[in-house]
Amino acid sequence: MKKQEIQKLEKKAVILRKKILSMITKANASHIGSAYSCLELLIFLYSYVLKIYPKNPFNKNRDRFILSKGWAISALFSVLEDKKIISQKDLENYCLDGSKLIGCATYNGIAGIEATTGSMGHGLPIGVGMALAAKIQNKKYKIVVLISDGECDEGSTWEAILQAGHHKLNNLLVIIDYNKLQSFGKVKDILDLEPLSAKWKAFKWNVLETNGNSFKDLSKTFKKITFKNKPTVIIAHTTKGKGVSIFENRNEWHYKTPKSKELEIAEKELII
Amino acid sequence: MRTAFLQSLTTLMEQDKNIVTITADMGFSVFEEMQQKFPTRFINTGVTEQSSASIAAGLALSGMKVFFYAQAPFITMRCFEQVRLDIAYNNLDVTIVGASSGFYSNQLGVSHFALEDIALMRLLPNMSVFAPGDSVEMQGVMKYVYKRKSPSYIRVTKAGSPVVYAKPVSSVSTAIELFSGDEATVFVTGSLLPVAKKVAENLQKKNITISLFSVPQIKPLDEKTILREAKKMKKIITIEDHYITGGLGSAVSEVIAASNAQ
Repeated sequence: MKKQEIQKLEKKAVILRKKILSMITKANASHIGSAYSCLELLIFLYSYVLKIYPKNPFNKNRDRFILSKGWAISALFSVLEDKKIISQKDLENYCLDGSKLIGCATYNGIAGIEATTGSMGHGLPIGVGMALAAKIQNKKYKIVVLISDGECDEGSTWEAILQAGHHKLNNLLVIIDYNKLQSFGKVKDILDLEPLSAKWKAFKWNVLETNGNSFKDLSKTFKKITFKNKPTVIIAHTTKGKGVSIFENRNEWHYKTPKSKELEIAEKELII
Repeated sequence: MRTAFLQSLTTLMEQDKNIVTITADMGFSVFEEMQQKFPTRFINTGVTEQSSASIAAGLALSGMKVFFYAQAPFITMRCFEQVRLDIAYNNLDVTIVGASSGFYSNQLGVSHFALEDIALMRLLPNMSVFAPGDSVEMQGVMKYVYKRKSPSYIRVTKAGSPVVYAKPVSSVSTAIELFSGDEATVFVTGSLLPVAKKVAENLQKKNITISLFSVPQIKPLDEKTILREAKKMKKIITIEDHYITGGLGSAVSEVIAASNAQ
């Protein structure tokens, strides 16, 4: 990827971070750390990986994208609005009374939301079901699921990893937003996932690793995906709260809404 | 009853290429022929009730009609949250088939009993609940759920149980009257239907007559028949192989309590 193109994407990420900040503060909502953690991943997916039809978003041949970490939905909505799949007006009402844009991914007719998620360990097995359906129906679209590291604690996630490997679901791509923080603290202290790559490999998956907040790295990594014989997982090393110094690697931003001084700092740092 | 389920499902799968059947590794000596006949549309997902329920949802979200089969306690209780969120709330075209329900696995004890499944499935939005009493009712239920586009739960109990009806039942959504009498009205659901029928016959020999209704569909319930009986009969009795709480007993009581019937 050319330097100019990367710079353009990085600029986009700052604009969307600002938008997410405004959505979350306006609604007094949460999970800004989770949203910032996976923003580059979402921008990259929607710009280069997913086959989407903004003018006809429910086109049957679209790639299916499931945000299994449904609580990071503010980031996805910001990208969907950027791609003109949902309206700016809808985005401005995020999480407010009467809005269809709910704070955790909800399957309620909004284009781009393929499943209700947020209860952990649901998105991947739903994706496995979609990948099986595509195989049975001989459809060419692919299924992409973004999961959190915390979701790798769930038994249902590992059941699905086992199933996808066994059924050789090469139409399935999983990305782990591996920011090393889960609800209560550090992943390695609570329930260590390492060696994570070896675990997925043992379950018959292609495994790639990348810096999930770097467009340059993402571009290199995605080029290596072949979609042959096996499902693929990308372990994306990320920073929770990426982009604002006081949010980075701090778990309180899983819960809190930025206010007064915090908001000022965030707004100051999010300048193009 | 299980054979009737299997035959109905096989016929439907032959007619409709959009049907997919998944089992969480249940159905040894039951599904082999289906597996051979439909190698891509029959999937054994392994002993994974939780992810299987989500997989069923994923298949249905992709436009397929799904039958999801496993033993009743595991398919309703172990993966309750997946059934709730992925299947019921999304109002998907998934029929959950709980085998060996009630006390069917009587030698195996509580791990294999399903005495709470009706209660749990009744709670869920969009979910219809069926407990056929013999193979004829089962055929009727299968025909009915095939036309539905919303989630259903079918409770399967005894294999090789007696057949109650001589010909197909006209509707599974209304209570089916088998006896008409004066002393009490009995509503029965599921595998105890042949037992209830025998009770009615034995009472008749002693000149005690009761009305007996079979209730193959517990949700939505045939409220009209229940209220009619409650108004004219002093005693209403329910029979089921399930806890009264949340089961047919609760369901019938709720209908009567919410009405003005004395």
